[in-house]
Amino acid sequence: MMNSSILLEINNLSVSYPLAKQEDEDDAVDFFALKNISITVNAGQIVGVVGESGAGKSTIGKAILGLLDPRAVVNSGQILMQNKDLLSSTESALETLRGRQIGYIYQNPMTALNPVLTIGEQVIEAIEANTDMAGAKAKAYAIKLLQQADVSMAEDRLSKYPHQLSGGLCQRIVFAIAIAAKPQLIIADEPTTALDVTVQKSVLETLLKLSRRNNVAVILITHDMGVVAEMCEYLYVLRHGQHVEQAPTATLINHPKHAYSQALMASVPRIEKRIERFVLPQAEQATIANAALEYLLDKQVDTDVAEVPVLEVKRLAKIFTTPASLFKPKQDFCAVKDVSFQVHKGETVGIVGESGSGKSTIGRLILGLHEITEGQVIYRGQNLATLTDPKDRRDLCLSMQCIFQDPYSSLNPRMTAGENITYGLKVHGLIGAHQAKRLAQDLMQLVGLQPLDSDKMPNAFSGGERQRIGIARALGYKPDFIFCDEPTSALDVSVQAELLNLLKDLQQQLDLTLLFVSHDLAVIRQMCDRVIVMKDGEALEQGDNDAIFEQPQHPYTKQLLSSMPRLTQLQ
Amino acid sequence: MPMSTIKRMSNILWHQYKTIFAHYPLALMGLVGVGLFILVALLAPWIAPQNPYDLMTLDIMDGLLPPMSKLGTGTTAWLGTDAVGRDILSTVMYGLRISLFVAFSAVIVGTILGVLLGLLAALKGGWIETIIMRAVDLKVSFPGILLALMLLAMFGTGVDKVIYALIIGTWASKARLTRSSALSEMQKEYIDAARLAGLANWRIMLRFLLPNSIAPVLVMLPMSLSGAIGAEATLSFLGVGVPITEPSLGLLIANGNDYLLSGKWWISIVPGLVLVALVLCINVVADRIREHNNPFLQPRG
Repeated sequence: MMNSSILLEINNLSVSYPLAKQEDEDDAVDFFALKNISITVNAGQIVGVVGESGAGKSTIGKAILGLLDPRAVVNSGQILMQNKDLLSSTESALETLRGRQIGYIYQNPMTALNPVLTIGEQVIEAIEANTDMAGAKAKAYAIKLLQQADVSMAEDRLSKYPHQLSGGLCQRIVFAIAIAAKPQLIIADEPTTALDVTVQKSVLETLLKLSRRNNVAVILITHDMGVVAEMCEYLYVLRHGQHVEQAPTATLINHPKHAYSQALMASVPRIEKRIERFVLPQAEQATIANAALEYLLDKQVDTDVAEVPVLEVKRLAKIFTTPASLFKPKQDFCAVKDVSFQVHKGETVGIVGESGSGKSTIGRLILGLHEITEGQVIYRGQNLATLTDPKDRRDLCLSMQCIFQDPYSSLNPRMTAGENITYGLKVHGLIGAHQAKRLAQDLMQLVGLQPLDSDKMPNAFSGGERQRIGIARALGYKPDFIFCDEPTSALDVSVQAELLNLLKDLQQQLDLTLLFVSHDLAVIRQMCDRVIVMKDGEALEQGDNDAIFEQPQHPYTKQLLSSMPRLTQLQ
Repeated sequence: MPMSTIKRMSNILWHQYKTIFAHYPLALMGLVGVGLFILVALLAPWIAPQNPYDLMTLDIMDGLLPPMSKLGTGTTAWLGTDAVGRDILSTVMYGLRISLFVAFSAVIVGTILGVLLGLLAALKGGWIETIIMRAVDLKVSFPGILLALMLLAMFGTGVDKVIYALIIGTWASKARLTRSSALSEMQKEYIDAARLAGLANWRIMLRFLLPNSIAPVLVMLPMSLSGAIGAEATLSFLGVGVPITEPSLGLLIANGNDYLLSGKWWISIVPGLVLVALVLCINVVADRIREHNNPFLQPRG
């Protein structure tokens, strides 16, 4: 099957976006999305293009298809597909190329499919547009394609609409459309990023099978090192649109040469063993003792409550009810079912589960952002629901804080970073107005930001920096307990590593108790002392980190662990 | 408000002004026009050739003079005079004052009311939201001018009554708009963060929700202003608006209506043209602001 003839060759491709020149800045330089990138894909080969956000990965895929943004300028280079230059091809030539010779798989299958057409109509449309088949013949072929893409009950699915199918099934249908005309190349742009890990595994297996069977080359564009490790033969690492390193996958992952690749690999959380900290090349400042630390450590410690667990959750349940309307009776949805656990002082407890497992809901129930349907949350020995004295209640509530998932929506965009951090403290009179600025600066320094940036608005910061501001805001209330709701899932892997290190340092210095929610098993592995595995609102298994990851008991936990792409499989 | 905040705000405003109006000469002309009209309205008592409502300065002998005529006092009536000898230029300047005052106060009060109710509906939900939003539906289901006529028939006429009627005309759309953008802001995590900080609802409303959901209303504001000017003129023309002692542009037009067919066109046409020019200027500015805020209308550069 394998032949090593070159299918696609990209030579010295540079793509730039001219910046609209502002009057007051003459030296505005055009933004280069890609700079002198060369990639070679052999027939039937799976090539990975990896890099963090802004690396220009997706631009490569779009450039091959001639679907670059109209503002983009191709400054130099060639894209040779079987010795024909695509960049100089006419639009109509490219149109026949797309779909017929090159298939494309999008990141989000739910938006890639048209919601008002049935699956059958969409698959058959692709078949009729790109092959000679039509009518009943096209329909029969559509069923065959869906079967190839491992869609169960293929014939029934043809009459369904995309919203009636799961994300994984939709992605398989996108696969079927992509392979309809038997292309020689498929460009898959983050094909599994929107999917849960167990689904990701089987979807990737299907892609691998399709590639092998039809001898289709795949360019897999992704940020996920685990995915490329399982899928690709050869890797290209990009950063800021520039070539960093290229090598066969095993070589690159086990012995990266370039400093950036090394840093990237060191940042990837491993699932095999727990390490103290991520070893990052630029040693970030370990949190330095400053005024903020003094402020944070200056809190009364109730010695009598030191014995009881910081947090005790007893038989917690949450039912969301959609109210009855004229046309529908009321519907109950049970998000959390009968969950009990304890979190002790200074400990990190992780909750891991796929989307819809109720893991974030638990945190929101604990924090009081949702009303509890049944069960109790006992915090520092007191039941929040029955606490009446408003001042006690406030103080207790303020010592529980949260680090949110989405750094782009967790800060008030109309307040400066400093105001975001200290606004609540000022309102409650916990600090004077004149101390606020100083404290904001100290806290920002503590979390590794420039203190003087406290006057900037949130939009001046990157995602990772915003997340640090969010941490500083939580710390301002001198919390004992912090709920971390997927704090790094929106961030690049290198930023994630820095942030996880920061959290570990702060936890040590301030004796924080953390409840850490994530869908990423590897992150949980690195961060948590004890782990709770959740599915569909139920806690299936609880145990120590090592026990869960090395001797999982529940079949679902085993399935989760085996779905997790591993870097070590290569060795 | 600290100095730094004021400086930041003015920087933002200046930057906004530059991005909205630079390279759009028509919109800039509209803006200059609006500015001129407001200036004339504010300065009317000092720059108008006569005070048309001071009976001592009027002379019945000067009545119905065409434009460019000499008055008994020796001054020139550039735009003619009306039946009782008032200089049309002066009446228009004073009329502009009333028209703008009525429209501005109605739109400002109506917007504040609407925005607050919209925020309240989004934040509180439940029966409060139901009451507010059904009231909006009720208001919107009446034709605006009919509602205003009914209200004025109930209240009687007068500048204040017209303002009330126009407030009732403006608040509903603002409430609806604010609620919908506030609802999407409510989903964001910074609102949860504010709740975790134990902040009172009114603080969350004013410091968190308000600044983040006001943008669409601000974009709509100039459009409502020109709408209110037009509505007030209509009501006054129909005789249920401002009283004859404080005539607005609409009443001035009505004032000359009887003379139109007898060739004394200037009494109605001049205030009419001013009204058209004023509304046009505001609309040009409003259109540009709307276009600037809607990325789909922006030409691709």
